[in-house]
Amino acid sequence: MRWFETPNYDFIGTQRITAVISGALVVLSLVAIFGLGLNYGIDFRGGKEYVFQFDQAVSVIDVRSELTEPLGAQPEVRRYGVDTEIMIRTDAEGEITEVRGVIESALSSMYPDNPYTVIKTDVVGPRFAEDLRIAALNSVIFALAIVFIYILIRFKKWYFSAGAVAALFHDVVIVLGIFTVLAEFAPFDVTIGQSLIAAFLTIVGYSLNDTVVVFDRIRENSIIYKTMEFKKMINKSLNDTLSRTVITSVTTLFVVSVLFIFGGEVLKGFAFALVVGVILGTYSSLFVASALVVLLESKRLEAKSS
Amino acid sequence: MKGNGFKIGTIVFFLGLTIWYLMPTIQLTLEQRYMNNMPEAERIAYENENRVKLQNLQERSLSLGLDLQGGMQVTLEVGTPQLLIELAGDFADEDLEDVIRIAAERSFDQRTDLVDEVVAEFESRDPNARLSRYYRSDSENITRRSTNAEIATYLKQQRDEAVDRAMEIIRTRVDRYGVTEPSIMKQGENRIIVELPGVDDEQRVRDLLRGTARLEFRLAADPDELNSARTNILSYFDQLVEEEELEVNVLRENLITQTGNTYAFGVAAGPDTASVNRILEREDFQERLPRNTTLLWGASPYAQSNGIDMFELIGVRSQIELTGDVISEARVAFDPNTNVPEVSMTMNTEGARRWARITGANIGRPVAIILDNHVFSYPVVRSRINNGRSSISGLGGLTEAEDLVNILLSGALPAPLDIIEERTVGATLGEASIRAGFFSVLFGLIFVAFFMILYYHAGGAIADLALLLNIIFILGILAGFQATLTLPGIAGIVLTIGMAVDANVLIFDRIREELRAGKTLRAAIDNGYSNAMSAIIDANVTTFFVGIILYSFGIGPIKGFAVTLMAGIAASLFSAIVITRVVVDYLTREKTAKLSFG
Repeated sequence: MRWFETPNYDFIGTQRITAVISGALVVLSLVAIFGLGLNYGIDFRGGKEYVFQFDQAVSVIDVRSELTEPLGAQPEVRRYGVDTEIMIRTDAEGEITEVRGVIESALSSMYPDNPYTVIKTDVVGPRFAEDLRIAALNSVIFALAIVFIYILIRFKKWYFSAGAVAALFHDVVIVLGIFTVLAEFAPFDVTIGQSLIAAFLTIVGYSLNDTVVVFDRIRENSIIYKTMEFKKMINKSLNDTLSRTVITSVTTLFVVSVLFIFGGEVLKGFAFALVVGVILGTYSSLFVASALVVLLESKRLEAKSS
Repeated sequence: MKGNGFKIGTIVFFLGLTIWYLMPTIQLTLEQRYMNNMPEAERIAYENENRVKLQNLQERSLSLGLDLQGGMQVTLEVGTPQLLIELAGDFADEDLEDVIRIAAERSFDQRTDLVDEVVAEFESRDPNARLSRYYRSDSENITRRSTNAEIATYLKQQRDEAVDRAMEIIRTRVDRYGVTEPSIMKQGENRIIVELPGVDDEQRVRDLLRGTARLEFRLAADPDELNSARTNILSYFDQLVEEEELEVNVLRENLITQTGNTYAFGVAAGPDTASVNRILEREDFQERLPRNTTLLWGASPYAQSNGIDMFELIGVRSQIELTGDVISEARVAFDPNTNVPEVSMTMNTEGARRWARITGANIGRPVAIILDNHVFSYPVVRSRINNGRSSISGLGGLTEAEDLVNILLSGALPAPLDIIEERTVGATLGEASIRAGFFSVLFGLIFVAFFMILYYHAGGAIADLALLLNIIFILGILAGFQATLTLPGIAGIVLTIGMAVDANVLIFDRIREELRAGKTLRAAIDNGYSNAMSAIIDANVTTFFVGIILYSFGIGPIKGFAVTLMAGIAASLFSAIVITRVVVDYLTREKTAKLSFG
């Protein structure tokens, strides 16, 4: 079996269209992020979160309304994968034991014949949450900076670095945007927490992998085809590596989909971010990173000649 | 073929190393399976017989994270502000407390060192004032003449020591509690992460970790004084209620109940104690109490009324006669009459001497035994006690008595600990996660393996072999570095399965290109491997960097993900470049050999 054996697609030619698509997605994501606000999870916001496993199905809406009064504020309640499991998140102040006692006694009186066990609890203090948030932000910024520097060292030209980092930024912002928009509808946890940061950095690593392979080919081709027009040479490099890009994307996309389907409720949000991230990462290394390199290089040449 | 001898040597070496590291895990799994098939009684006997061996295996095998085996993780923060106040001892005053409070807020907002902020805040109030007004230490040579900078150094050192001491104490308590493979780590300046696999009694653990077990012996208040103060306060409150200050009503209602106990100031229902406490703190209340008298709640309910526990408010002297420092030994004992568990304590020589003096001077009067500001009992002294014995009764049960002994013996925490993070995972969720992780790995592996054979034929089969070894290597690396396998860690393995073939995809695509260009198979293979190398290295180094960053930022499970990701990169580089090369070279050793890359 051979896919894309000697392809000759005009990737750079589609620049205009993909630039519009990417630009629109990034802008929409930023609008969503700033308009709706990031949907922080327990890790970054603090609070108390419990997962209850019941014997029989329970109603999320009933639980939410029944708990509002005793807790003093409406808690977030949602299904945890199946009808019999619910997750309750509250910002209620007070001792860990007390808050949990309030929830448990309300649940027991609501469902006297439906016993439950608590299968997961997360309690994060507001100050600790702030620390985690800052550490997460630092790690993402730090990762992008390291990538920029490494590519600068390996490929010697700053616009390669800029292209790679822009592609990564593109991927991460769009995933964030999707997660923000999905906050209301997703049947699984799409809040932003530590595991999502791990997913982001993995996307960064993956997308970078793709981009670097293309750049490596550009570097090689630029030595072999010295007289070829820069734009054409980049296009050729993209085509040369296309088969590899697609094969690796297929295998990776498959395993992250497996993770999304079979990985259990705990990993759902994380795996979903990876699924979206792998697709975006492949797209961005084909259309964003190289297109930007071409753009920056031509700007540079223009500046030089004028 | 040149140099393959060395390559084969390395492969054998690493495989051997991996098997060596994974052996205990395999043995342990087999043992556990063997034991699970035994009847209960036989199993316990077998466990006792082979305890050392099993423990040894356990220690060396690949351990599962809390999210997979269930358990509890707690992050504790040492209360530095309180520590600073306590270090000042008798010198502490409201000014100092105010300075520390403001400094604590600022140090949190601006993420600066609390001690530096205290010094800055103190100096901003009076540039010439000296912190030596509050802090002295003979052993550290901190005197009245010490500069503020010297004191800052001293305080920081005290704080570090306090965190280390708190860690030691917690370790002792956790060990006594009996958890297999607990983990206690320091995080940052003043935080301690405690991981307790398999623990599900959260409240008990919380009490155990935070328990200060501040034990005090105080004389009971004078009953006559207490009674007249009570009458006085009641009439004062009656007046307040007439003036429509209704808040005090809670206390009034509670005080009216008399228990016939001359040392009890009043009784309150459990849920009411918080609001009563607020009133107790009022100044107009405090100034009506007899001098040198403090009111403390009884530890166990005095009675029940309509199913609600009622607690006594007991009057004791403000002065502390003796503290828990003098306890040298504690154990669980049973009251000979009622058979109720209590804690029996022995004091050291100094404590025993003072205890003898106190009891000797107060025969016929009660001495209150107070633990963490709750009065556990106030037995009347019958005679002078010379042997330094005492006991705490009125405990909730055997577990509470055992935990109390544990806390008393492990020593008092240097400063209060706050729980700033707590996570628990039930064992059932852990099992579900293991299953989910296992199936994800299996399905991912099967698909990728099929796909590679379909696409690259024989080459794909070789890559699959490398992939399989890759997973074994990852597990070996995890076991070798004593890392923990977490659910995100398994996700990392699944992801590695998808990405590990990348290096082979790069190589095989290159080989195909070379073949298309008309090269011989051998030349194509040589060029394919060498031309793909720089892309493989670049791509993996950058991802490895990301792994390092993830590791240094993340905690617990996320660290596990970072570890497997990095192990996966290292292993996949080795297996994709070295192992496949050896196999490919072997299969094409004859000039006429054929090998399909699809």
